[in-house]
Amino acid sequence: MPPLILTHLAPHALAPFALAQLIEPGSFTDSTTPSLLDAVLPSVLNWMLFLPALAGAICFLPGVSRASARALALLTTLGSFALSLVIAFDYYFNQNASGVAAVTLKPWIESIHANYHVGVDGLNLPLVLLTTSLSVLVVLAAWRIEKATQAFMGLFLFLLTGMLGVFVALDLFLFYLFFEVSLLPMYFLIGIWGGPRKEYAAIKFFLYTLAGSICLLFVMLGLYCLTPAGTANHVNTWQLVDSGEQDSLISESVRALFAGPSTGLHGPTPAGPYWLHAQAFFLLTLVAFLIKLPAVPFHTWLPDAHVEAPTPISMILAGVLLKMGGYGLMRVTYPLFPDAARHFWLPVATLGVVAILYGGFCALAQTDWKKLVAYSSVSHMGYVTLGLAVLTRTGFDGAYFQMIAHGITSALMFFLVGVVYDRAHHRDINRLGGLWLKFPGLGGWSLLAFCAGMGLPGLCGFVGELLVIFGTFEANGQLPGTIPGSAGSGGFMGAATILGLFASLGVVITAGYTLWMFQRVFMGPERPEAAGYAPITAREYGIMAALGMAAVLFGLVPLLVFRLTDPTFYALASVLGLN
Amino acid sequence: MTPVQAHILDLLAAATLIPLASALLLLFAGKRWLGRLSGWVATLAMAGSCGCALAALSAWQDNLPATIVFEIPWIPVPGQAAGYLNLGMLVDHLTVAMTAMVTLIATLVHLYSIGYMQGDKRFERFFAYLSLFTFAMLGIVVSASLTQLFVFWELVGLTSYLLIGFWFERPGPRLACKKAFVMNRIGDAGFLAGLAILYCKLGGNLLLPAAGDAQTPSGVPIETIYQTLTAILADENASILSPPAWLTFAGIALFCGAIGKSAQFPLHTWLPDAMEGPTPVSSIVHSATMVAAGVYLTARLLPILTPGVHLFIATIGLVTLVIGACMALVMTDIKRVLAYSTLSQLGYMVLGLGAGAYNFALLHLVAHAFFKCCLFQCAGSVIHAAGGKQDLRSFGGLWRKMPATMACFAVCTLAIAGASVMGVGLSGHYSKDGLIACMHNYGLALDEAFNPGGTTFPFAHIFYWAPVAVAYVTAFYMARAFTLTFLGSPREPHLIEHAHEAPLTMLVPQGALALLAVVATPWGMAFWGDRINASAMIVPWVQGGTEEQVGETAVEFTHHAVGFAWLVGIAGGVALYAAGTKNAARLAKLPGVRLLHTWFLNKFYFDGLYDGFVVGLAKAVAGLAWILDRAVIDAAVDALAKRVREGAASISPFDPDPSGSPINSVAFAAQAADQALRPTHSGRIRLYVLLAFGSAALILMAVLILVFAARAAGHAA
Repeated sequence: MPPLILTHLAPHALAPFALAQLIEPGSFTDSTTPSLLDAVLPSVLNWMLFLPALAGAICFLPGVSRASARALALLTTLGSFALSLVIAFDYYFNQNASGVAAVTLKPWIESIHANYHVGVDGLNLPLVLLTTSLSVLVVLAAWRIEKATQAFMGLFLFLLTGMLGVFVALDLFLFYLFFEVSLLPMYFLIGIWGGPRKEYAAIKFFLYTLAGSICLLFVMLGLYCLTPAGTANHVNTWQLVDSGEQDSLISESVRALFAGPSTGLHGPTPAGPYWLHAQAFFLLTLVAFLIKLPAVPFHTWLPDAHVEAPTPISMILAGVLLKMGGYGLMRVTYPLFPDAARHFWLPVATLGVVAILYGGFCALAQTDWKKLVAYSSVSHMGYVTLGLAVLTRTGFDGAYFQMIAHGITSALMFFLVGVVYDRAHHRDINRLGGLWLKFPGLGGWSLLAFCAGMGLPGLCGFVGELLVIFGTFEANGQLPGTIPGSAGSGGFMGAATILGLFASLGVVITAGYTLWMFQRVFMGPERPEAAGYAPITAREYGIMAALGMAAVLFGLVPLLVFRLTDPTFYALASVLGLN
Repeated sequence: MTPVQAHILDLLAAATLIPLASALLLLFAGKRWLGRLSGWVATLAMAGSCGCALAALSAWQDNLPATIVFEIPWIPVPGQAAGYLNLGMLVDHLTVAMTAMVTLIATLVHLYSIGYMQGDKRFERFFAYLSLFTFAMLGIVVSASLTQLFVFWELVGLTSYLLIGFWFERPGPRLACKKAFVMNRIGDAGFLAGLAILYCKLGGNLLLPAAGDAQTPSGVPIETIYQTLTAILADENASILSPPAWLTFAGIALFCGAIGKSAQFPLHTWLPDAMEGPTPVSSIVHSATMVAAGVYLTARLLPILTPGVHLFIATIGLVTLVIGACMALVMTDIKRVLAYSTLSQLGYMVLGLGAGAYNFALLHLVAHAFFKCCLFQCAGSVIHAAGGKQDLRSFGGLWRKMPATMACFAVCTLAIAGASVMGVGLSGHYSKDGLIACMHNYGLALDEAFNPGGTTFPFAHIFYWAPVAVAYVTAFYMARAFTLTFLGSPREPHLIEHAHEAPLTMLVPQGALALLAVVATPWGMAFWGDRINASAMIVPWVQGGTEEQVGETAVEFTHHAVGFAWLVGIAGGVALYAAGTKNAARLAKLPGVRLLHTWFLNKFYFDGLYDGFVVGLAKAVAGLAWILDRAVIDAAVDALAKRVREGAASISPFDPDPSGSPINSVAFAAQAADQALRPTHSGRIRLYVLLAFGSAALILMAVLILVFAARAAGHAA
């Protein structure tokens, strides 16, 4: 008699646990025979990408009413979400060998070899899904915006195309274009619909990111100039995926130009011709994306932008826009310059740990609730930097998952702040209180959200943090440069171990500011002014529930993400020589 | 796999999941559908869970191997041999013993809460939290791996936060629950670091060490941390007894988690404050859950902890044991006395584990769970009867009004004091005296280790004499609490006038627990005692549980040293406090005593140190970071922007004469155009944006036309 509950009932009854396990990827169709779906997938991707922009343009037409703009935005985001789901399901069940799917490759600006090259692989697909799903909720969260609704929805839809474009672009030039395109609508969305200091915040956000873009542009120019004209490398400069058998991210021969010296099995190899350039380029692209992430000390645009931005825009800013930074690092910086990444691992990892602790301490000092959440974002994104910097497969997995998890939790947290702000008309933590008594449901979902943010296991915030910390400890002794005087402990107290210990301390600070905030805002007796607060609507509860349940689902079944990313990360690991 | 094992796995899985189901039911449907019935629903569910656990305990046979089901993939770790961090279940002797104890106490606490929480406006939610809390603890006990254990570990932290802060309208619970959670998180940071080190070194195999060799349900042997670790160390020519630095470091880091959860020095300050929660919460937190989790973890990990870690654990336990007892001596709040007594008793367990007295430490965990739970419930009944008053100085003479509660309290006082006559005693006697006897051996072993074959090392013997002394103190402070509450004449008669015996829902669990406190070790031995004994892994530094294994000398010696501690302590306590606190107050004024009294009363100034210094420091660092952010980083950014703007202005060749400069002409022209375009200033943002984008499009088109024109010209040429 086999154990009934555990081995028979549990895997089915506890469906979330088993969900990702029951259906093995690629088990449905024979992946060698192209299906009809394969033929239309590129179109599906292109529709998903440009449908929002099209609908956005319609929103600006004269005669479009507020209600129809809202409906159009909702339908469009739903449509885009549905299309991305089609791609995701196909990718999940029917992965082809290269790991890149739904590819459109058309010559675009032939004089500089720039192509219109879009497609999905494990690296961008989860982020695409995050973007499309979150945008539906953002439109719902913006439902009550009355100031120039049509323009708001239109700009948001433009923004959506920009964000999706950044993720699906497989051509560096195209990537750069979308990176810039996503900037402008955001500038208007903050600058027009924002709070009292909206102009300052908007221009700060704009200029900061632009400064980063210029770094990226400079590197692109450098890349293009360094590859001799007429060679294959020159033609392939902008390619973000190799057209070969495996999805190996960035043309192998381009990468070889920027290789550093190594001590391989066959004796030391000299550095590639442009090793010094590689170091400079690495740092430049690093800065470009760390600004977006944002990492300390390039982060000060973030609190201002968040505080001034309207709630839905904060959600999308924290939920998706910050991920462009991490994604850029994983798509461009690290695959292009893996040796430079190895060379500079310690300063970058230190930046990550500093962000974790410094962001946490800054959050601890806030009395503006939204600013606290904004600084918690800085702290959480520090795990992304750290996970990448330590160059382990576990760290990469953790960094990536942390981006997805933070996309869910930070969007939820900003939404909760917005819900309260709409009623209290201020965000001063010291002047709030007793909200749990007034709105038990809000209290419950908030507790879930902030626990997920705190990285409590079983919720999505935990997986990323755990893997990043594990990955950091793993890196010990496998990367150049150790802390002097650490030899006495048998090489155990290397730089990575010490960074890992500090990163673990982050959980205490996170608990500190989260619980302090929760105590002030939600606990305590109900305040007299709360009597006039409007009840929380079903729409608002719906958004909370959707994000809250996602936080639980991805905490329990992180495999839903990892099953998608795995093949690409495998390739990435071999490219980067991850441990 | 044998049918028995399958049966037991089923029973334990059910025992664990039933409280979760009932918690979710109450959380989502309690208020709407169940209302006042919630208490009974939760209690019956817990009773069902308890039934399953007891059935599993009685079905367990000591010759069964540990069984590990570990099949639900959770987090992939492609960098390590294990591939996945799985979820699963571990069943061995210790699991069945612990599950039975936890569910039994949880059921009685649920029952007690029905009476205690009657009339609370969040009645349903209380039971939801309580069931969730129990589920979390059961999850810890059945977890197969260290990572999975960490999941439930944090769930225990979260649910304790909810329970301690249940009355969050008041400032006390609000602060106490935050303190508890943050203190636990400090320990958890260590846990996480230890976890990470083990994970890296062991290839991702984090299966908890089980009693003996473990197998999968289909009978395939499965390696736990212990086996993997010994194999790895053997390759490095090391062993757990002569370990590499990382193993000791990892052990200490992991034990930090237990320091937090089991409220050991120096993270002990949350536990006394946690009594701000409703009394049923104290009764369960202080007995079967939460504080038991740390002891359980340490016991589980004992085989892989190095001698250095053992010494560390023993030292922490020793300090906690002594300071807890000292503080319990002088507290005047009845729940605080019990809380500090818990600290001290936990100190015994942790000290015992550090010394390798695995059996007795766990036995004491079980025994203590029953009598401390009962003591808190009695205290709750007293507080209920006294209209919320908790001060010992206001009680007195309650025996007349609450004889049943007094009897329960008396039994448990005897149990915790370890009362015995002619070798037959209450539960505390067996566990505590045995533990102290093991400490005798540890003291000797330590002496030998520090001075191989040489002169004696006096410090080592503090590990024996401190627990002996605390045995006397324990009996004394318990007698003090008992005497001040129940004996003598009422000191505040109006308080006592309305006092009455607790309702049946509270009396029944109290009585049941008192009974269990009597029999938990002598008779219950057949149940959990033997399970615990059998689970003691055969590793050299674990001392056996039988009299022969401990050694006749140690047992004899300890018998003389603490055999009558209970009598001496209780007699002293009753004598000093029979007439109220005035004799003690006089005693406290004596020169030497006074200083100590002040120290004890101020809890060794730990709270002041933490609240003032550590919290202050954190706040100062946060303030500094914030200032740095605004005044340095952001100021630099703003200054840069300003400088760029000024620079742009200064390099303008048209600057000197503002009125006639071309720049201004442009501006004037723009102004004129603005006048002309005034009608478009309709205040409609949509129009603005449309114009902005429209003009951008126009410019773009113009550029494109130019480019094409240039190209065409090029071709033509």
